[in-house]
Amino acid sequence: MTETLHYRLPWQSSSVYPGAHPGQMVGAGQLFKRHEPLIASPDPRRIDLRASVLDPFSSYRVRVYQQQSSVNVYLLADLSASMGYADKQQTLIRFLLAAANSAFDYGDKFGFIGCTERIEQRWLLPAGQHLGRVSALAKQLERLKFTAGATGLQNASAFLPAERSLVFLLSDCHFPLAQLRAVLGSLQDHDLVPLVLWNRDEYAALPNWGLISFQDMESHASRTLFMRPSLRQKIVAAYRQRQHDLKHIFRAFGNEPLFITEGYNSQTVNRHLQQRAA
Amino acid sequence: MNLAVNTPWALTGLVLALLPLFNSGMRTSPAPWTALIPGDALSAFVVCCLRLCAVAAIAGLVLGMAGLHRTEQSRERIGHGAHIVLLLDRSSSMDNTFAGRAPNGSDDGRDAGGRATHGAVAEESKAAAARRLLTEFVKQRQNDLIGVAEYSTSPLFVIPLTENKNAVQAAIAATATPALGFTHVSKGLGMAISFFEQQSVTGSRIVLLVSDGAAAIDHDSELKLREWFKRQQVRLYWIFLRTAGSPGIFDQPEDSRDDNAGAMPELYLHKFFLGLGSPYQAYEAESPDALKQAIADINRLENLPMHYVEHIPKQDLSAACYSVAAFLLLVLLGVKFCEVKR
Repeated sequence: MTETLHYRLPWQSSSVYPGAHPGQMVGAGQLFKRHEPLIASPDPRRIDLRASVLDPFSSYRVRVYQQQSSVNVYLLADLSASMGYADKQQTLIRFLLAAANSAFDYGDKFGFIGCTERIEQRWLLPAGQHLGRVSALAKQLERLKFTAGATGLQNASAFLPAERSLVFLLSDCHFPLAQLRAVLGSLQDHDLVPLVLWNRDEYAALPNWGLISFQDMESHASRTLFMRPSLRQKIVAAYRQRQHDLKHIFRAFGNEPLFITEGYNSQTVNRHLQQRAA
Repeated sequence: MNLAVNTPWALTGLVLALLPLFNSGMRTSPAPWTALIPGDALSAFVVCCLRLCAVAAIAGLVLGMAGLHRTEQSRERIGHGAHIVLLLDRSSSMDNTFAGRAPNGSDDGRDAGGRATHGAVAEESKAAAARRLLTEFVKQRQNDLIGVAEYSTSPLFVIPLTENKNAVQAAIAATATPALGFTHVSKGLGMAISFFEQQSVTGSRIVLLVSDGAAAIDHDSELKLREWFKRQQVRLYWIFLRTAGSPGIFDQPEDSRDDNAGAMPELYLHKFFLGLGSPYQAYEAESPDALKQAIADINRLENLPMHYVEHIPKQDLSAACYSVAAFLLLVLLGVKFCEVKR
């Protein structure tokens, strides 16, 4: 099971290390970037004779090429209790492994920040290239029972590097919109890919008739509903409205969210990633 | 509406009735974020009703176990009627017919064809005729308080003044047992008057003496009876069941030597009653028809407005509690079947 995410950056990485993405560094590459004096980049093989002749100062001009750079990939995960619903936890782990694998395939560094009510040391993985540590983390996550809220997301930017990184935000966004705005505001320095993880069972699989008692996974408050077709439609409409609101906010911060409602599928994620790079 | 319970400590179980307020008793299914579910007034109403049902069901069971009942109550009522004490003669002569013979026919006052018979035809005893007619009388007097006393050698307390007509009729029917020895009328009257002692003076107070003979009343008893009749304001009706050939109450002695209480006790008792100072009426009945006439007379006369207290007996409510609880539990069970299993 090796799913690969083909992420491409619509911006230039500032990383000095060579990698697979367009970078701001000049060096070994295929894409012509500019001419430089020979003294600045002393590579006689790249002397452009035509440009040197045309130079009014009669100095040697050397072609420099854009270096393919690496980028830091982070997975910012919401570990709140609502993420324990149905198969969300498995999806989270699956995505973690897929993202880590892809990042290592590209030669990028991968880091993980898990947020509950605060950010705990044990759910922090600094950017690195060790698959073993990622698998160990995935095993730990499998055993974890999600219980708390997701307020730690607001502090996650403090654990991200200063240079622009690719950040996958995996959450179900079941928290107030104001909190989401704060999170997005703090992550504006980075290239954010929001993945909103929902499950159809939450709203679409409700019965038409009957009594059903819901217990909130985070607050443990229970609510009993007398289900009937009109109420079911109202619930579905409420989720649709919520999706609309979330899209609106994400777009306001320049991020197009991907709603994963019908089971996680790496193809869907890949299509989304390619669309945003195009 | 005075409610009481048999075992008050069982009421501590009422605390259990608060349980449904803390536990809905439903299987909860996890929801990621209930805040996303829009508010629903109907659901809230249904849930509230179900909780109340559960509270009421538990409360009903506990109250049923505690033995909830309504205490005995008295209700003041105003009607037309009287306080009547039936004072029945139980001397053995009452078991004879009006003709002075032992009855040889059926004792229920009806002949083989089922028609009501008249005296000599079916040979109905005086006691049976009195029984039959008094039963009818009691049936007609729905608002009265009626008590029954009997006398023979000594007075017999049968049933105090009560509005329970079934009890009175049963008491009258109980005189069907064979009668006893002698006639001791003064003690019987004393007991009949004593029935009124604890009663308030309202309506008319009647002692209906049904006898077929009399006895001399000694001087002491005479004094006492005079005083009691006056104090209790009792009207006296005497229905004298005269056996054919025996001396009646209105007969004057032919011989002056017979003019004493020993020889003509009926006449002297009548005279004593006339001299009591309280309203008195005597009827001489020589057949069941005459007896019927006398009773109809009394029925017509004695209908003064009366203020009385009706007693409603203790009423057990635990069965009602259990049935209400059972109904509510059925409702809750039905709701349980409507619960969505996820």
